[in-house]
Amino acid sequence: MKILIVDDSSTMRRIIINTLSRIGYTDVVEGENGKSGLEKLGQGGVEMIITDWNMPEMDGLEFVKTVRGQNPAIPILMVTTNAAKEDIVEALQAGVNNYVVKPFTPETLKEKIESLLG
Amino acid sequence: MDQSEIDALLAGGGKGAKKSKPEPDPAASPAQEPKQDGSGHVIAELDTVTAVTERESNKVMDQLDMISQLVARQQKLITEMMRHEGAQAAGVQQAIHEVMSAGKEIQDKVFEAMDLMQFQDITRQKLERIVHHLRQIHDYIVDLLGTGLKNEAERASISRTIAQTGTMPDENKAHADAVVEAYKSQKKG
Repeated sequence: MKILIVDDSSTMRRIIINTLSRIGYTDVVEGENGKSGLEKLGQGGVEMIITDWNMPEMDGLEFVKTVRGQNPAIPILMVTTNAAKEDIVEALQAGVNNYVVKPFTPETLKEKIESLLG
Repeated sequence: MDQSEIDALLAGGGKGAKKSKPEPDPAASPAQEPKQDGSGHVIAELDTVTAVTERESNKVMDQLDMISQLVARQQKLITEMMRHEGAQAAGVQQAIHEVMSAGKEIQDKVFEAMDLMQFQDITRQKLERIVHHLRQIHDYIVDLLGTGLKNEAERASISRTIAQTGTMPDENKAHADAVVEAYKSQKKG
C-alpha cells in the first residue's frame, strides 16, 4: 500500500514515516506542499493520503479540494495543529475522511489509518 | 509613536526593544530581504529561527535513527548468540533474555523520543501565527496613523479577528473525534 505524506515540515514527515513503518506501511512518497503532493499523486500508485493543513504555495485544504475533484474515493487523513471545531468541519466538507490534531500518538495514527482502510 | 518608531519596534530596534540581539546564522536559511518599511526584519528573523530548529531537529532525528539501527543490530547479534552451543546454560539464557528486553525498552524509548519531536512543527506554526498577529497589529496601527481613528464597528471587527486567529490554548482544542463523528452522523441523517 503506497501512502502519500504531504507536510512542509521535514521533521514531521520523518515522524509520520517512522510511525507508519512501525505499523507495517513502508511504501511512502512525500510532498512538501499541496502542489508537490499533486505531482506525486499524478505519478500513480498512491492508495491513501496523509496531509497537513498549513503549508506554503498550496495549503492542505486546497490540496484536498483539488484531489477530490479528480478522485472522490481515495482515503484522506488530515493531520494538523488546527483544532478549532469550524476548521475540522471545513476540512470534512472539503472531502477529508478523518482528522487528527497534532501532536498525535502512534496509536491514534494507527487507529485512524486502519479505520480508513477497514 | 510615529510610523518610523512602529517600524523600528517591529524590526527589533525601536524604543524598549533589546539593544543587542544574537546574529542569525546566515547559513541557516535562505537570505530573505527585509521589506523597506522594516516589518520584514521580524518575519525574516522568525523564519531563521524556524529553519534552524527544523535543521537541528533533523540532526536529533538522525541520531535517534542511528541509535535505533544500533539497537536492532545488537538484537540480531544477541539472537545469533543465543543459538550458540556455549550459551545454552539456563543462567546464560536468562541473562541474554534480560539484555534483549533491555534493548527492546531502549528501542521503545527511542520511538517515544522521535514522536516527541513533533514539538518542532507545532512551535513553528505557533510562531507563524504570531507573525500573522504582528502583521495585523502593524497594518492596523499604520491605518490609524494614516487615516485617523477608525469607527467602532471597524475597531470591533479587527479586535475580533485578532482574538479568533490567535494561537489556541490546548484546553480550548475541540475534541476532533467528537466533531468528526457529529459531522458524519449529521450527514447520514
